[in-house]
Amino acid sequence: MTTLSGSLLLTFRELWAMRLTQAMLVIASLAWLLLSFALNMDVVEGSLAAVRIFGFDTTPTDGVFNEDTGEWMSQALSLDKFMIGINTFVFGAAYFLGTLLGLFATMPLINGFLEYGRIDLLLSKPLSRPRLLAGHLVGVWLTVLVLSSYLVGGVWLSLSFKTGVWMPMFLMAIPIITVMFAVMYAVILSVSIITRSSGLGLVITYGLIFFSIVLASHNQIVPVLSNTNAAIFMAFYHVLPNFIEVVGVQAQLVEGTVVTSWYPFISSLLFGFVTYGIGFFWFSRRDF
Amino acid sequence: MPILVSVNPANGISVPSRVSSPVIDIADLYKTYASGLRRRKVHALRGVDLQVSRGEALGILGPNGAGKTTLLKVLLGIVHPTSGSARLFGQPAGDPKARRRLGYLPENHRFPTYLTARQTLDVYGRLSDLSDEARRERIPRLLEDVGLASWEDTRVGQFSKGMMQRLGLAQALLSQPEVVILDEPTDGVDPVGRRDIRDRLRALKQTGTTVVINSHLLSEIELVCDRVLIMHKGRIIRSGTVDELARQGSGWRVEVDRLDPLFEPERWSASLEETGRAIVVEDGLPETLNALIDHLREEQVQIMGIERHRASLEAGFIDLITSQEDAS
Repeated sequence: MTTLSGSLLLTFRELWAMRLTQAMLVIASLAWLLLSFALNMDVVEGSLAAVRIFGFDTTPTDGVFNEDTGEWMSQALSLDKFMIGINTFVFGAAYFLGTLLGLFATMPLINGFLEYGRIDLLLSKPLSRPRLLAGHLVGVWLTVLVLSSYLVGGVWLSLSFKTGVWMPMFLMAIPIITVMFAVMYAVILSVSIITRSSGLGLVITYGLIFFSIVLASHNQIVPVLSNTNAAIFMAFYHVLPNFIEVVGVQAQLVEGTVVTSWYPFISSLLFGFVTYGIGFFWFSRRDF
Repeated sequence: MPILVSVNPANGISVPSRVSSPVIDIADLYKTYASGLRRRKVHALRGVDLQVSRGEALGILGPNGAGKTTLLKVLLGIVHPTSGSARLFGQPAGDPKARRRLGYLPENHRFPTYLTARQTLDVYGRLSDLSDEARRERIPRLLEDVGLASWEDTRVGQFSKGMMQRLGLAQALLSQPEVVILDEPTDGVDPVGRRDIRDRLRALKQTGTTVVINSHLLSEIELVCDRVLIMHKGRIIRSGTVDELARQGSGWRVEVDRLDPLFEPERWSASLEETGRAIVVEDGLPETLNALIDHLREEQVQIMGIERHRASLEAGFIDLITSQEDAS
């Protein structure tokens, strides 16, 4: 257990030493401080009558025409819709920016872990290779979990207290962000282990994220492809991570509607398992 | 398991041991790397056999690419052998249990630059499965021993190469290992620091710790090790004590009061020193020496002294490697 704590501690210290982790904490703090103190809302009978940010009125100006009185009246926003909008925005920012920046930030972490003179010293310690790699991974996952919990949890608490509308499903963003980051981290880590190039790992990981935008449009693309090409396309769809489609899952969760398909999330998870399996196998077999 | 007492033949020190088998046992070890797109084969180790006893200090010498570091890495489980066996404390190399009793200082080791010296030892102590209590007790003592006590709260990133080596040595000794493997331990260390490290290694030897050193500095090996092995192109080409290896090509040095200008040193396979007052007999055979003495006495030359002219380990090493290169 002490050996695992050493591996974890090393990863935590390394992540903390990288300024980006601290920057993410600051950004998350600013986000929920902004929502807590700079955002003022007037809630009238469950609807949002007015929204002010830093004292400036941002209530929607478009209104509805009242035929009875013959006057234009300002339209009160649905509070639920406002909350969904804010939550979706926060989730999207954390999911995309957090993952892209987080993966970029982990490049030096992986470089440091696999660097000659460092890895040989770690491998000479009395812990097995899978255990050493697991310690590194758990350290990274826990850090992402803490950061996403801090951001999402803070925003959720702040908004819920302000509006009195509690949307617990928004908190599902925490495991979804953490798991999807872990899935994409599997790619950068495994490619780095196999090729000893974290730069290549990052390029491939980003490539998969951007390719998932294409995969998410499979309903529009497949009908215009030939049978063979459609089969190839769908093979990619089933095998590769569906990073973009998972956004839809979270959106449905926040809206409180039934999630039509968990498949994008589950197939991504399976991709992560397999990729980690390859990474662990290679890490155990290769010479350093 | 019975507790035996083994006596180190080099220093006569009695060392308690639990097993009579060697702590390091390597048999017919091969390692072949495949590199590049064409998977070109590089034979790093070719049939290495080696046994190291408890309490022994072994030096490994060889030119660059001889396979020294690969040999150590196989022993530590960092590199997987192609064939053959390597065992540490009777267990297969690479078994984490065996590494519990081992300390290692790699060549060009790198510690995280953001950690202080104390934090570095704390993290690596945890990785060595040391308890909180053991770390609290040993870390300040080791930092004191390697001369880094006043730098314990300084970040490693600010350390010089020599300080990094000292910290690396402290890290290798943290778990009070039975076997210490050091790859170029004095690389980049100033002369005073080298002496300190040497003294530390000698002290380790006294406690019965097995020490394996891989170094380019032959004088280090000469001063610390009981046994030396020389590697070349993946093979052990010579093994023996420092004296045995240094004696290769040794002879006699005869000091005289004067010499006849017509003296022909070639007749005795000898050479003259620049002072003209000493003759070095190269072949080292007693018959040659006696024939030379007889001749000198007949010529009424006063013999002021006779001593063995022992080549240094370095000279022996260079001769051996050169002859190997010539042969191949």
